[in-house]
Amino acid sequence: MAGKNDLGSTNNWKAPKKMGISDLARREERLAFRLLLPALLIILLIAFYPLAQVFYTSFTDRVFASGEETNFIGFENYRQLLSVHVMELEPVLDEATGQQLVDPDSGEKVFERPLDVLPREPNRYRELNQFDLLGKRYVIGATDPNFIEAVQNTLVFTAISVFIELILGLAIALVVNSKFKFRGAMRAAMLVPWAVITVVSARMWEWMLAPSRIGMFNALFDRLGLIDSPIAFLASGGYQLSALIAVDVWKTTPFMALLILAGLQIMPEDIFEAAEIDGAGKIRQFFMITLPLLKPAIAVALIFRTLDALRVFDIFQVMLGQSTYSMASYNYFQLIGNRNMGLASAIGVIIFILIFVFAVSYIRMLGVDEE
Amino acid sequence: MLKRYWLIGLVVLLAFSLLFAAGCGEAEEVVDDPDVVDEEDEVVDPDEVVITVAAGAVGMELELTRDLAEMYSEANEGVTVDVLDTPDMADDRLGLYLQFFEAGSSEVDVYQIDVIWPGDLAEHFVDLYEYGADAVADDHFPAIIENNTVDGRLVGIPWFTDAGLLYYRTDLLEKYELDVPQTWDELEEYAQIIQDGEREENPDFWGFVWQGNAYEGLTCDALEWIASNDGGTIIEPEGVITINNPNAIEIVDQAAGWVGTISPEGVTTMAEEDSRAIWHAGNAAFMRNWPYAYATSMADDSAVAGNFDVSPLPAGKSGSGAATLGGWQLAVSKYSDNPEVAADVALFMASYEGQKYRAVEGTFNPTIMDLYDDPEVLEAAPFFEALYDVFINAVARPSTVTAPQYAAVSELFYNAVHDVLTGQKDAADAFEELELDLQDLTGFPVE
Repeated sequence: MAGKNDLGSTNNWKAPKKMGISDLARREERLAFRLLLPALLIILLIAFYPLAQVFYTSFTDRVFASGEETNFIGFENYRQLLSVHVMELEPVLDEATGQQLVDPDSGEKVFERPLDVLPREPNRYRELNQFDLLGKRYVIGATDPNFIEAVQNTLVFTAISVFIELILGLAIALVVNSKFKFRGAMRAAMLVPWAVITVVSARMWEWMLAPSRIGMFNALFDRLGLIDSPIAFLASGGYQLSALIAVDVWKTTPFMALLILAGLQIMPEDIFEAAEIDGAGKIRQFFMITLPLLKPAIAVALIFRTLDALRVFDIFQVMLGQSTYSMASYNYFQLIGNRNMGLASAIGVIIFILIFVFAVSYIRMLGVDEE
Repeated sequence: MLKRYWLIGLVVLLAFSLLFAAGCGEAEEVVDDPDVVDEEDEVVDPDEVVITVAAGAVGMELELTRDLAEMYSEANEGVTVDVLDTPDMADDRLGLYLQFFEAGSSEVDVYQIDVIWPGDLAEHFVDLYEYGADAVADDHFPAIIENNTVDGRLVGIPWFTDAGLLYYRTDLLEKYELDVPQTWDELEEYAQIIQDGEREENPDFWGFVWQGNAYEGLTCDALEWIASNDGGTIIEPEGVITINNPNAIEIVDQAAGWVGTISPEGVTTMAEEDSRAIWHAGNAAFMRNWPYAYATSMADDSAVAGNFDVSPLPAGKSGSGAATLGGWQLAVSKYSDNPEVAADVALFMASYEGQKYRAVEGTFNPTIMDLYDDPEVLEAAPFFEALYDVFINAVARPSTVTAPQYAAVSELFYNAVHDVLTGQKDAADAFEELELDLQDLTGFPVE
């Protein structure tokens, strides 16, 4: 679209040609535009229209599946989702000694309760987290701690799972790119986890992670004598996110490998031959030739996977339900569970902006647009 | 440069619209479900009326609903009744229904709705009094009819009622010379004794299984603990928030102590069917569940068949046990193309014969009072007679007084209890905060 204006002058593959052909090119350009028009209209209809609708709804208090009247409430939904407040917690002193009280059970110093300190008007702040800084105790309050936690969970999930998938995917791609017997069969087999529908694989993993010896992992650990009592992987606590990351890595590493494999296959053999003759070892070849040439493929793979992981919904919904949210599953809960369509739309808009920022910064960082 | 950003923008936009399509697509997928379409009817008669009933699939529910649908189709020429399989968890089922309502869809004609939904969903259903329900309404339990009547409109015909029961193993109580526990303390003690004994041979054995996942089921379980301990019903029918009281705090702290001792750690991820699976395999001494589990426990593949019985749930301070009122109604969609036929189907399924069939085959509790005197019903489910009082005195969740915000109230409540069960908070802190949250949400005063 933007290319239409600089046609014939700066467009690098047409510049050296004569003026007469430039006319033809212009006509072709116009034809191309006309051919693209239906697709553009469809995109406007199915992407821009709903998006505009979501933006609009995010400023209202609309209730899902209800005939109730909708009011325009400005930025109230965003304020509800994003308000965060940090406050200091005063130590609780023993009236007799003037010393700070210490909890006799845990041995920890006692501070004021966040519930008594955090502001309640106009919206109530709930405790999100506490931290120590320079010997003082602070509390972070948020009007919607569930959402802030959902954002945190999603970012942690994305960063760790995409990183592991990249490393494993690269390794697998290098292996299936080398020549060996049954390579075709191997490549096909590699794709199986990716071909399984996510909800199905999430349910499958949920059973494997079952909190009794019905679950494969607990049965295995029990057999090996690693645990005394079964671990409840999907109950709250440290195991939840790790379990989900494991499932995601299992499922999407093949996709990563596939994209990187495509990059490997277009690599010219002769460069490696030349490097061989010049005396570069295999490791040097990998870092000096393979990796730089693979950069565009990796960039594409990373963008795909990161944007995908930021939108993660199915495995959170199936495996954790209402106990721990990702951004998208919180969005779903607010819309379907709470029927709060206005708030849900605001969450959608925030996810959209976040993903957009990620996409642009990725492209900047990896220099995809500077060839 | 600019062009690239355009492209990125478009890609992101498309990706984003897929996210929304994921939510909206669900309803369509269900419609494509091959189960819905009767495959035998290749030739469709233009006059043929197809009525779709959205029904549950917990235990034997789906099978029995299909049987009734078939009976109706056979008896009524020109009408085919299809049954749509819906999610097990009530919250998920509500989500599915809401999508049909938002779209004003005529795909589903009859909905199976929970006892807590009439207030919230009334605007989407027809008044069954206009379709002949007035003739039968008096046969049903008056409390349920009242629950289903919103502004004088009967939005759902009662189909079956539910109340939480204590399932226990008669063989194990005998083996360890114990009686049926009358209080929570006794239950705790007996469960521990039996569990310690059985563990020697069966490392997978647990004393007591129940529903501890963060969902509507936990609201039911926790309400039973609290009501039996004289701790109120979260929000009282006259609109007063009572949850933050010492009795409620005490019993919920006690329940948190069961997790990892007499109940598996994983009980905080369990719904009805998860706990029933453990019970069904013979790996639990006690189970809290609804009456439907009686029939499934009698089935041939059950390890506990013939070795179990049911009793009222144990008591706390109040001296008597409490059972949460559950149960499901059949409602006819306002968006149906054939509301008369749909209402007739709903009334048939909830009729004396329909309820009797489900009671005999699947121990679903009838809502028609006369059925509790029917010898065939009592033979199939002897406990109906013994526990009649439990069923008629069941404690209602505060859904009427908080409508249309009950779902949000319940979510706050079960998440607070879940935090206590998983050890993130103690009950005193959790309920103090819950009290504030409920005040913000409902605007009701505190006791």
